[in-house]
Amino acid sequence: MLFLRRTLPLIIAFAVGLIGILVFYIPHSGAQSLEYELTKWDRIVAAFALALGIYSLMRLHWGRVRRQQAGWAYSFLVFVGFTVMFIFAIYNDGHGPFNPQVADSGPFVWMFNNVQVPADATMFSILAFFIASAAYRTFRARTPEAAILLVSAIIVMIGRVPIGGLISDSIPELSQWLMAVPNLAAKRGILLGVSLGIVATSLRIIFGIERSYLGGGEE
Amino acid sequence: MSRDHIIFIVFLFIFATINIYLFGSGNLSADWTGFGTFIAAGITLSLYSFLYKDNPLFKFAENLYVGVAAAYTLNQIWYTVLLADVVNPLSELEENLSNLWLIVPTLLGLFMLTQLSSAKFSWLSRIAFAFVVGLGAGLAIPRTIAANVLAQLEPTMQPIAATWVGLDLFIILVGVVTVLVYFFYSVEHTGPVGVASKIGIWFLMISFGASFGYTIMARLSLLIGRVGFLLEDWLVLPLPLF
Amino acid sequence: MKEFLLNIDRRIIFIFVALGVIIPALTSFNLPINPTPNVQSIYDTIEEVGKENGTVLISFDYGPGSMPEVQPMALSVLRHCFKRNVKVVGMCLWPQGVGLAQQAFDTTSKELDAEYGSDYVFLGFKTGFQSVVVSMGHDFHGTFPQDLPGNNTTELPVTKNIKGLADFDYVLCLAAGNTPDGIWIPFGQERYKFKFGLGCTAVMAPDQFPYLQSGQMNGMMGGLAGAAEYETLVQASGTATEGMRPQSVVHLIIIFFIILGNVMYFLYGRPKGGTQ
Repeated sequence: MLFLRRTLPLIIAFAVGLIGILVFYIPHSGAQSLEYELTKWDRIVAAFALALGIYSLMRLHWGRVRRQQAGWAYSFLVFVGFTVMFIFAIYNDGHGPFNPQVADSGPFVWMFNNVQVPADATMFSILAFFIASAAYRTFRARTPEAAILLVSAIIVMIGRVPIGGLISDSIPELSQWLMAVPNLAAKRGILLGVSLGIVATSLRIIFGIERSYLGGGEE
Repeated sequence: MSRDHIIFIVFLFIFATINIYLFGSGNLSADWTGFGTFIAAGITLSLYSFLYKDNPLFKFAENLYVGVAAAYTLNQIWYTVLLADVVNPLSELEENLSNLWLIVPTLLGLFMLTQLSSAKFSWLSRIAFAFVVGLGAGLAIPRTIAANVLAQLEPTMQPIAATWVGLDLFIILVGVVTVLVYFFYSVEHTGPVGVASKIGIWFLMISFGASFGYTIMARLSLLIGRVGFLLEDWLVLPLPLF
Repeated sequence: MKEFLLNIDRRIIFIFVALGVIIPALTSFNLPINPTPNVQSIYDTIEEVGKENGTVLISFDYGPGSMPEVQPMALSVLRHCFKRNVKVVGMCLWPQGVGLAQQAFDTTSKELDAEYGSDYVFLGFKTGFQSVVVSMGHDFHGTFPQDLPGNNTTELPVTKNIKGLADFDYVLCLAAGNTPDGIWIPFGQERYKFKFGLGCTAVMAPDQFPYLQSGQMNGMMGGLAGAAEYETLVQASGTATEGMRPQSVVHLIIIFFIILGNVMYFLYGRPKGGTQ
């Protein structure tokens, strides 16, 4: 049983990982078909993974409702939103769940446009107020490094909007140069570091050193 | 009655009055489109009430949204992936027997769902995770090296001429090297290494400043979008007024 | 007064930000918008594709949370494509992108009489991020056997001759996450060497400059300013161009507060406590 629970997953990760690397370097049609087939499988498994994520979220809220924890009525609202939208999804503007999705009309699209879109867009826009307040409170030129950061931010903020060009032509140019030269250099340095990190972590996964994806427990 | 209750009632009263006017004057049509704009405006303002303080109106809109968004995603998974790529091909096996292979990823997917079941079966999910994580790692290694390492090193190390472009290339080279030195912790940052790492910090600070400026810009754009909706779509103001 | 300026209540700043957005939105004053080379490059590429009567793939990888920034790009690019008879194939790596892409196609196709199937096709969403891109590279029809409304992609005029990613004359990613640098470039562009352009949120834009210099990306529209530049190029002023007025004013307000905070800090030292 230990073999099935621990060794088999490690063998599978090693095998498909190695295949994933090798087929990149083998232009033979057989290798390319294998890569296509594996990625097709992966796309389907990913759909279940996403569904699992949604199930997990709903289970969390269901737990709150069942235990009547503080604020459980809000968790109940999650179910109200989910159920209404789910029914409209199945209804599919009169075509039912086994026909292609109707994406341009019907109550499902109405809910998306008038509930999901305003809520999601507004949620992120609230941050505009907090980021403005935080900029005033924390953006202080306490050290030379902080001063560089502050000056860079101010140049970019003026240079990227039309008012910068009205003040002076050189502000947008300076802003563009900051982005395309020093910013690029720093971002490339970070990118190289992160990429090597990704390669190292991927190798650790393939060789079974990194096993956190197997979850807790040794069984 | 607390101050917050009074604010809440006044807010609802103003919102209701404006909408009665909008529907009454025909600015909002008395159909699903008009009703949708009314609901969208209500949700937008409920969420903005958070700026005053956290309150039930905000939580109401927030939680309703979470449920709707979850079902929206589930809908997309069903119609364009599970129905189109699994259910339909498996129901057409007589025409195309090779579709039988689809049973493998379907089983792996079902294994994944055992993650939240009892311990007796949950180990099956490890097989599915091993497949996804292993394949992801394998596909990523050669492509990350090619696209994010080699393709990035090449333009960093170009011949440098005594021109403005050449100077920029030189600055980029210095920046990339010094930033890498800064992140290289295996050597003590003293002497020349210390100087290089200090220069690396300056590059990083310029880049963090730029990112901060751009982040402020992004958040404001979202706010501008919502204010535009409230003024133009809900209040139906003929912008610009002045 | 000193204490007040050292520690202005956040709600006062909130009011300034709100007024900085609302008042310029209500008023009219013109600000010149000059397209940057990165945006111009996307425009020029679509012009070239139009001359060859080619096909563009647009990946709508964003959701309503970034809609005010990215949706104006989608609308402007689609208008440009339809005006130049560039065929468009739309798809999504993000599920929330489906509704927004559909809206953009509906609006622009009605405006410019673009016909579904012969001028544009919308494929919808697929799970799997990198696996979708890798399999599209190998077999486009196998990855998307049907479009969103259920037509066979082997039969639609726009998609019937597309065998893989390499057959697209241009791939444009409209993104609010890591799909350009994390998915499209390493898993698609790196192997198939198609021309690749990006429209993204301002938050992402600074991270993309290394790819512009390396040529892996041939152009970029960053944030609302990038969208406004594209609107200027296609001569169709929209929400992004209008948004540049409040955007400019609030930037000045925030810079004023940052400078005020620093002046007070250097004159009177650290503030004592306070709320964020």
